[in-house]
Amino acid sequence: MRNRVYLNWFNYINRGLIFTVLAIMLFGNLMVYSATHVYDNPYQFLQKQLVFSFLGLAVAVGFMFFDYNRLRQFIVPFYVLNIFLLIVVFFIGKDVYGSTRWIPLGFFNLQPSELAKLVLIITFGEFLADRKGDIKEVKDWLIVAAHVGVPMFLIMLQPDLGTSLVLLAIMLGMLSVSGLRWQQALAIFSIGLSVVFAVLKFGLLHEYQMKRILVFLDPSIDPTGVGYNLKQSKIAIGSGGFLGKGLFSGTQSSLGFLPVRYADFIFSVVAEELGFLGAGAVLLLFLALLIKCISIAKSSGNLFGSLMAIGIGSMWLFQIFVNIGMTMGMMPVTGVPLPFMSYGGSAMMMNMMSVGLLANIYAHRLK
Amino acid sequence: MRPINDLIQKRLFMASMIVTVIFGLLFFRLWTLQVVARDEYVNLSNNNRIRTVTTSAPRGNIYDRSGLLLANNLPTLAVTVDYQEINNEEMLAELAKILNMKLAAVRERVNDKKYAPFYPRIVKQGISKETASYIKENSSNLPGVDITTNFYRNYPKLSLAPHVIGYIGEISQEELAFSEALTHTSGDLIGKSGIEGEYEEILCGTKGIKQFEIDRTGSITHMLDEREPVAGNHVQLTIDSALQSATESSLKSAVMAARANGYPDANGGAAIVLNPNNGEILALASYPTYDQTLFVRGMTSREWESLNAKGSGYPLFNRAVMASYAPASVFKPVTYVAGLSDGVVSAKDSFLCEGTWLGMGEMWPKNCWRKEGHGETGFTAGLKDSCDVVFYEVGYRLYKRGGERLQHWSRKFGFGKATGVDLPSEVIGRVPDRKWKKETHEDLEEQKWLPGDTVNLAIGQGDLLTSPLQVADLYAAIANDGLIWKPHVVSKVFTPEGDEIRTAKRKKLADIDISKDVLDGLKKGLVSVIKEGTASNAFAGFPVPVAGKTGTSEVKGRDDFAWFACFAPVNNPKYVVVVMVEEGGHGGSIAAPAARRILSTAFNVSSVGPVSVSDDSR
Repeated sequence: MRNRVYLNWFNYINRGLIFTVLAIMLFGNLMVYSATHVYDNPYQFLQKQLVFSFLGLAVAVGFMFFDYNRLRQFIVPFYVLNIFLLIVVFFIGKDVYGSTRWIPLGFFNLQPSELAKLVLIITFGEFLADRKGDIKEVKDWLIVAAHVGVPMFLIMLQPDLGTSLVLLAIMLGMLSVSGLRWQQALAIFSIGLSVVFAVLKFGLLHEYQMKRILVFLDPSIDPTGVGYNLKQSKIAIGSGGFLGKGLFSGTQSSLGFLPVRYADFIFSVVAEELGFLGAGAVLLLFLALLIKCISIAKSSGNLFGSLMAIGIGSMWLFQIFVNIGMTMGMMPVTGVPLPFMSYGGSAMMMNMMSVGLLANIYAHRLK
Repeated sequence: MRPINDLIQKRLFMASMIVTVIFGLLFFRLWTLQVVARDEYVNLSNNNRIRTVTTSAPRGNIYDRSGLLLANNLPTLAVTVDYQEINNEEMLAELAKILNMKLAAVRERVNDKKYAPFYPRIVKQGISKETASYIKENSSNLPGVDITTNFYRNYPKLSLAPHVIGYIGEISQEELAFSEALTHTSGDLIGKSGIEGEYEEILCGTKGIKQFEIDRTGSITHMLDEREPVAGNHVQLTIDSALQSATESSLKSAVMAARANGYPDANGGAAIVLNPNNGEILALASYPTYDQTLFVRGMTSREWESLNAKGSGYPLFNRAVMASYAPASVFKPVTYVAGLSDGVVSAKDSFLCEGTWLGMGEMWPKNCWRKEGHGETGFTAGLKDSCDVVFYEVGYRLYKRGGERLQHWSRKFGFGKATGVDLPSEVIGRVPDRKWKKETHEDLEEQKWLPGDTVNLAIGQGDLLTSPLQVADLYAAIANDGLIWKPHVVSKVFTPEGDEIRTAKRKKLADIDISKDVLDGLKKGLVSVIKEGTASNAFAGFPVPVAGKTGTSEVKGRDDFAWFACFAPVNNPKYVVVVMVEEGGHGGSIAAPAARRILSTAFNVSSVGPVSVSDDSR
């Protein structure tokens, strides 16, 4: 049976998934170029992003051709390596914008927090599948809390509130699908809420993080800082109108009013230059991607595979909603990149690994 | 193959629902931003990136009818500081030293809130050429400092005809809101009154524009648009400077004479000279008057307050068109025409004036201004002596006839509506009638139109209100056999190159059908006023035949208002003259002599006559 599947490419490759991802990635590269073409070296960002895209494709292909069930054997070393990298970043990490997130590797800066998402999806997937998706004992709940809590805490220390929240979203998504009861969901929610409250109350957040949340609640308190970014992003999106100002013609973007537009605010560039048509197309592509995740989870005959697909989907859904919502003033400004579109190597790699894993789950759906 | 359990299938279905809802939210938000609120954000986006700097255009000149310059612009050198350098303390201190100003004063100028952001700030106007060249030579020490040429308004004939020419001032926030179509910006000087105000759009020209696209830091990325300023168009008035000057001085003399003659409260007045053949206003004066040059360089708030203070006599107020008064006896020609045309009286009728009229019964006596009475008086002779009894009687007959005929004729002559003169804030006055009285009064009793109301209207009293200009139109109609041309003060508009772009054509305001007999009788009556009637003292020995009427209006609690209205020469009228002095006493003694002096200048007659004479008629 297994050999037959391998020989039948038509059944093996999920072409819808590949097409959707390639389309988003192409869009992303184009917009990264559009957002940076006014710089002295107009190809500087595009070149790197293209390299990451091709590397990513290679990695994705690599992640397709093995039986993902073999990953179950390595979850302990994965988890340990992950924590190790998250600690190492504090010692040899590169400081950018006041936070330490990157380990310089010469040609490339590794962002361990990106890797942590995928590690969590795999290890937590195994943990849940091992218990048939049902967690009853208090001991198990403590393990769940530690499993997610340790990397979350380390990432929060960098500080990178956005990414640590992604981990929480992944965990919640996977738990929910695997059979979390509503009482449990309520309990987790209330604990989460009290933690957030405590963090706000006792000033555990960095000042800039507090500010971002407060600015989200009332943008007028900081019109030149975080509020400025939000305002300029909304101006970019709103002024794009239905048809947009034209590719490479975004004034908000090219005149520098939009902050870090090639990374966190890439969606604003799309919306300004390509209008509702272009931005809507991006949303549709992302919607297709998420529906794909769910259908792969459905088709998998294996709980481990289903849970990993859901973990990946939860991660993307959270990032897409928080990132796009942020550019439109629906969410606080947190540094969460838009999958496949925001400039950045580690994120691209991690996302492409996820794609490879999804394709792998799909390919082995009959197992 | 091991199927996953139903629970997970159900939960995955829920998951797709959640995904759909979240994307629905994103789509909805995107739609509101990009489609619903698009215009607002396009605006914000343009405000972000586009900076417009304007250079003012020289304002058009104003000339009198013979081409004499009444208003023009003089260039002045101004020092400006670029907005990016307004916090450069070192430079500001250096500049203060050069301009001989206090540093605090310089700082105050550059930080003035009235400047739109990104505009250069004017630090000092009217600097000398030496200072300008010194600043240019030392430009390396003075970053952001520039010399520009500005213009300021100049009135070469000093304060001649200020109520016609008007003044300019800084645009107010309300005016700014209304002038969207114009290129005005905060801090601009615009016409506020008179021709300066009424013809603002013609005079102001088009500002030069430099439009830049700038980036986030405010540096210019490129020029979007650049247009040179276009100078404003010139305006030529119908005003005759010599006649205007005579009119102003005659009015002033009349006010002074009234004060000297026992009317200490006389402090305002108006005078108009109108050509009845085409509606051209040759002179228009209002007293007290003011100096327009005060406005040019900005006045202190104390100066401004003094122009609007209670005791000031309100010099900015143009009494010739903006104020309305009871016209009293100068209105009698309307009653005359109405009575004869409607047949309630004939020119041959005679009336007995014993000082009191009892037409409405013993209970309601009405007095003639002459207590001892005029005796047996013909209808036309009633004009000569301004006999009130004659006009009470005619008014009463018109009342009994019904149909509000006196109001009908008043409106025909233009009362109760604007003349449409090209000066701002013209009043429409009031012709009182049944409907007006009902609407105005709250008390049921007072709402009723009584016979006495028409009787009062017949002598130009009661609730009738007219501007001096409307009275001028009445006499223009008599002079011109019923035809009234719309009064105007602008005759031509031409470009700075001298091309005429607009010429005032005379416009018919009214063509009143009055029979020749009635008109002849009226003119005869008005001539007799001058020859042997209430204005005979004032016009004694005046060589040009004049037809006119005196008036003395009563205002409760105030002294009488003196009126005189006339036209000359009688057979080929060239001038209508109206003079009114508030609380100046009798028309024959105060207003008529002023009119004579004005006509003396118009006809180049050496005998200007006395400043005031004795006449106690009303």
